[in-house]
Amino acid sequence: MFTFDTLSLLFVLFLALGVVPNIFYAWGYMDHIERKGHFLVHYLSFILSMLGVVLSNTPLAFLFFWEIMSLTSWQLILANAHEKGTLPAARLYFFMTHFGFVFILLFFLITSDGNLSLSFSELHAIAAHFPYPTLLFFLLVLGFLSKAGVVPMHVWLPYAHPAAPSAVSALMSGVMLKIALYGFLRMLLEVLYPWHLEWGVVVLIIGAISSLIGVLYALSEHDMKALLANHSIENIGIILIAFGMGMIFGSLHLPLLSAFAFIAGLYHIFNHMSFKSLLFMSAGAVLHQTHTKNIEKYGSLIKTMPITAANFLFAAVSISALPPTNGFLSEWMIFQSLLGSSSISDIILKISIPFTVFALALTGGLAIACFVKAFGITFLGLHRSHNAKHAHEVNRLMQIGMLSMAAVVLALMLFAPLFLHLFDDALVPFGLSDITGRITPTFWSIHSIAHNGGVVSPLFLTFALAVVVFALDYAAKLLGVRSRSHRTWACGYRTNAKMQYTATGFAGPIRRFFAWLYRPEVHFHKKTVAGHTTKFTSALYDVHIKPLFEASLYEGTKKALNVISYWVYRLGHFEQVRYGAIIFNLMLSVLFGYRIIAHHFSWATLVLEAVILIASIKILVIGDKE
Amino acid sequence: MIAYILWIAVMVLTAPLFLSLIKMIKMWLLFKKPLSPLQGYRDFSKLLSKEVLISQEASAITHIAPYMVLAPLVVVLFLLPPPSAKSFFISFTDAFTLTGLVALSSFFLMLLGLDSASSFGGIGSSREAFISALVEPAMILVIFALSLMAKNLGVAQATINLAHHFPIEHLASFAFAGIAFFILLIAENGRIPVDNPETHLELTMVHEAMILDISGWYLALVESAAAIKFMIFASLFVSFFMPFGMDAPFLVALLIFLLKVAFVAILVALIEVNTAKLRLFKVPNLLGLAIIFAFLSLISYYILGA
Repeated sequence: MFTFDTLSLLFVLFLALGVVPNIFYAWGYMDHIERKGHFLVHYLSFILSMLGVVLSNTPLAFLFFWEIMSLTSWQLILANAHEKGTLPAARLYFFMTHFGFVFILLFFLITSDGNLSLSFSELHAIAAHFPYPTLLFFLLVLGFLSKAGVVPMHVWLPYAHPAAPSAVSALMSGVMLKIALYGFLRMLLEVLYPWHLEWGVVVLIIGAISSLIGVLYALSEHDMKALLANHSIENIGIILIAFGMGMIFGSLHLPLLSAFAFIAGLYHIFNHMSFKSLLFMSAGAVLHQTHTKNIEKYGSLIKTMPITAANFLFAAVSISALPPTNGFLSEWMIFQSLLGSSSISDIILKISIPFTVFALALTGGLAIACFVKAFGITFLGLHRSHNAKHAHEVNRLMQIGMLSMAAVVLALMLFAPLFLHLFDDALVPFGLSDITGRITPTFWSIHSIAHNGGVVSPLFLTFALAVVVFALDYAAKLLGVRSRSHRTWACGYRTNAKMQYTATGFAGPIRRFFAWLYRPEVHFHKKTVAGHTTKFTSALYDVHIKPLFEASLYEGTKKALNVISYWVYRLGHFEQVRYGAIIFNLMLSVLFGYRIIAHHFSWATLVLEAVILIASIKILVIGDKE
Repeated sequence: MIAYILWIAVMVLTAPLFLSLIKMIKMWLLFKKPLSPLQGYRDFSKLLSKEVLISQEASAITHIAPYMVLAPLVVVLFLLPPPSAKSFFISFTDAFTLTGLVALSSFFLMLLGLDSASSFGGIGSSREAFISALVEPAMILVIFALSLMAKNLGVAQATINLAHHFPIEHLASFAFAGIAFFILLIAENGRIPVDNPETHLELTMVHEAMILDISGWYLALVESAAAIKFMIFASLFVSFFMPFGMDAPFLVALLIFLLKVAFVAILVALIEVNTAKLRLFKVPNLLGLAIIFAFLSLISYYILGA
């Protein structure tokens, strides 16, 4: 029923690191929650169910805890049910999470041959006999990665995470998404191996697209928490790039590079948990004080909320993958494993992988832009609303929560080689190589496994930066720098909040460059003075962006389903016999489909069954009209 | 070790010289009375004696950011490839770390721009964010290609490998990477087709807009950061793409190195005189060119070499 192997224990550590600071924070956040009993019951059972998922060893236990995890988090989104937008968000989340559940269930039903109480290690033999392993792989992708929120199954994420209370957003974005990746990884390592080369390429492409789409929509977002949720999509994409490279190297028999890529992926899982939780916590603190999620209504908060601002800045530097933080280290490792692609002998694959390098690097650049915007508009400048003016620092418990999560980020950064050791130990029992000695020969540096790779040392970088900063500060003291303060020069006018750059304006050049993707809807109204085009008394500029995937894929599917259901309804025509015939045909097609998938496939039976199906539809359902 | 310290000292001390050199050549070519090459030092010492004027709207970031703009670049300076093949260098870093440190510096510069509640700062930060987001992929791809040709990602080791066994059969990919890197050098340092370092006109400002509201010691820090950044990129360019003269005795090698950097400065000045500044939304075309050349370099390496 339960297992305590290395990978499970690693994720127990992961949960401990992610959950303990969160409990302090949630404790401090309680006064913001209306239904306290409801919240506590679901919050605690959410945490316990995640623990159950990582420890369970049979499909039955896994599915049970997985479903509890989905349902409790769904209830947690509904904690402030009367707020606008919460109900549709919860409904979408409920639908998407069960959409994924169906595929996970199908995967387990096929690989366990119906006996869900077998242990995971026994599933491999059954899965190996299944004639279409690629089908199983796609079931895994649809099942686990829809929960992890990769493009194009990410649409629920920017709605569901902001709707939840901030402590829960931190837990969902930081921890729960990674539990889905844990499931994906465990199934790949324990049930569905050896991997085909194409699977790795699929995972790599999904990862590259998710990372770019995630960061681009994050940039155009005005809602602070939706911005962070979009960044989760990006980071899940980055983790999947690492896993994809690991699978590609694994299927090409390059075991060292494969182990390195998987370690990089696991490291980024831990890092993303730490800095994303910290970001959600400090964004939640801002929301707690200003009562708005709109980034344009913040400003100047660093003066009144210095601890929150410092935490946000630290996490922002880390998520933007800037040295010497942990976000940089794991992205560095992922770049190194992409560099390792030069050892691949297949020339087509070798030439294609630089496109992933391009995607990942562009993602990094855009993430910097996005977090300059998020930090700069929120915490710097002048306050843009009354709420922001009257904000003050949050209570002690929330501060403890944030500071302890910052400590987790710091630990992951300074003791990176020790953590890498741990990740390698967790993966070795699953048949990956032991490369600890190669990548972390000393406790202060990380080496690349690629033959043209490099070295990085977090301790050295931190130390060097600190020394230089202190030396410069000392020089300032020696020089006796005097200072005086005066208001900002605004060309003769008084500086005021309306003169500042807005978040919309900040992202303007990037939005204009990617207009083909965003297709922004611009509303621009101004009252001009006496027919002048350039003189006006008031102006309003507003940009709305409807995410492309929602507008095309999801709206399109909705329309198609409406057309089909209308067609079925017309066929049925309120006659019981016809409804009966439709149900009979549906069962027939399911049975035939099962026969074709699960048993021996031959064209003769396919044709025969198709003829039977078409004939019965013609005779029973459509009948002879007119 | 002494040679290493001497070399770092020379780089720090000569950094403002090359920016003044560019300005001098430009003025001379435009038939103006050229300014002294020592102007950079004069400006620096003038700024040191002035008091710091801090905006009332500014926060702690204004006090932190100038240090954080300069510090990563100083760290990068210590990690650069040495001018002589035999001298000491720090081996436990690589090119990704260097680009990361440069990005850290510009991250804090962008925050500095947003801190004083002036819309000039915002305009500069927003444009810088846009340009540096597009510089990043080209940079990483060039590094990827170079690490293949030089058989190492550590910049110092890579330079020494190139000096000893120059991959003559990969001259094409080498040239492509060189063009891409030169475009990046121009973009990262805010030189003319991308940004004009001399005007204070809001239509064209990028770098100058962000530092409009700081003064005195802080401005001195940020200005020296700009000079050091040019030094970093120029020295990376000369050690990767002109890897000769490194086996000479240390002082001769250092002299050759400085001459090479001066050559890059002259090249930049010539480009500045001969081109107009691009509109902001045309800049991606130039950077796209850099990205394409970087891809070409990688692809031609794979097709011809492996």
